[in-house]
Amino acid sequence: MILKEIWTLVKKEILIELRMKYALSGMILYLVSSIFLGYITFSLGRAQINPLTWNVLFWIIMLFVATNSIAKSFIQESKERLLYFYTIADPQSIIMSKILFNCILMLFLVISGFIIYIILMGNPVEDVGLFILSLLLGSLGFSTTFTMISSIASKASNSGTLMAILGFPIIIPMLLLLIKISKNAIEGLDRSSANDEIITLVAIIIIAISTSILLFPYLWRSN
Amino acid sequence: MVFVPCSLAQNEENTKVEMADNMRAEGKIYVVVLVVTIVFTGLTIYAINTERRLTKLEKEMRSLKSEEDS
Amino acid sequence: MQFFSRKNWWKILGVLLIYYVLIYGFLIEVPRLSILNETIRNLFFHVALWFAMFILLIVSVVYSVKYLKNSDLNVDIIASEFATAGIVFGVMGISTGSIWARFTWGDWWVNDPKLNATTIALLIYLAYFVLRSSIEDNHQKGRISAVYNIFAFAAAVPLIFILPRLTDSLHPGSGGNPGFSAYDLDNNLRKVFYPAVVGWSLIGVWFTTMRIRIKKLKMITEEHHLN
Repeated sequence: MILKEIWTLVKKEILIELRMKYALSGMILYLVSSIFLGYITFSLGRAQINPLTWNVLFWIIMLFVATNSIAKSFIQESKERLLYFYTIADPQSIIMSKILFNCILMLFLVISGFIIYIILMGNPVEDVGLFILSLLLGSLGFSTTFTMISSIASKASNSGTLMAILGFPIIIPMLLLLIKISKNAIEGLDRSSANDEIITLVAIIIIAISTSILLFPYLWRSN
Repeated sequence: MVFVPCSLAQNEENTKVEMADNMRAEGKIYVVVLVVTIVFTGLTIYAINTERRLTKLEKEMRSLKSEEDS
Repeated sequence: MQFFSRKNWWKILGVLLIYYVLIYGFLIEVPRLSILNETIRNLFFHVALWFAMFILLIVSVVYSVKYLKNSDLNVDIIASEFATAGIVFGVMGISTGSIWARFTWGDWWVNDPKLNATTIALLIYLAYFVLRSSIEDNHQKGRISAVYNIFAFAAAVPLIFILPRLTDSLHPGSGGNPGFSAYDLDNNLRKVFYPAVVGWSLIGVWFTTMRIRIKKLKMITEEHHLN
């Protein structure tokens, strides 16, 4: 019953996104511009980019793309629409659907980002499978944290900067884990070496999802 | 720089580790303790003062309120 | 003097404990360790302050949860004041740690996971106050910041404790071991350390309760003036 509700809501979000293409294309443009910026600035030195720097730059660009795109999910919703949803759906379904939608969105952005990144900046990745796993976990991680932060920030004035202020400190531990896992993938290390980090990351994501589901109803009420 | 603890089993090595023994031997350590306790006493008196003014204010507030209510 | 009444016993206890720490902390015999020398006594200050900070932040989160349940503005005041106290103790912890680092590790700041982790914690709580200042209505302020407090605590703070264990660090008790096994607490050290943790926590709680009382009085006088 709830799953069906969630699925309907997710489909709605996807439909809205596809209809208002300007948001999605805006994000893709942001992505391409940042990657291009990185490409230009780093190839000025002619030297081949250090794989670790490559990795970190990628994740930082992804972080900014995530902050900007997920911010939209609550901050740009109009009051009337929010009120409408308040009457027809459970708060838990709403937050779960937003998280899922943002995850799908992030996956799309991250994978396209990865492809563009490889084209422009070369591909030093040895273990592509592990890297893709880190991309997956990254999308999930960004999505769960930032969706919740977006809902908190939307209640305050000055939401744009607040997203960054509230979100960055929380996302740093996750980011460190992601960078570690993807670094292992780049260096082609044995898959089990990153096990600790993967387990911890999955654990945080679970904690983030459960706290979001528990706490969101309290935010929802203030409408 | 990784911290390596000195093994306590080697007694001769022990006395070679520089400590404030000199300070202690000449009773100077008591000066340190005295200074620190004086500073702390000063701060504590300040805190207790604030505490007492607070309780006085709260009492006044309560009596004003009960006057109003009655 | 009414201060020395029964209900203030814990404040007096806190003060007495700190006196104990200040006196015995310097006089008691400590293990002789190279590099650290006498600075090992900083255990009673730097480390104890961290523990106290953690206790204060836990109290803050607990009261945030309480606020979500009963929406009593007084509870929100308690939650935010304990967060303030947490930040104050955190800053004191970082500064004492920095001085200690300068003399033992050679630098005021190093790239160490525990240091980074605590900076993150401090950033989170500073963000908490920025959030509070950007919301006008008191009830909303309480509710939204309570949600952030709980979310941030759950998502980041446990990690802050686990991550340093996963990696190598200059701090004792990392790179695999829990606690301070590097210079495992000597019995003597324990005699001053545990009272220090309790003492600093009690002092922290005392000061916070005073601030809470001031805020409550302000709230009452504001209501008065509005009427």
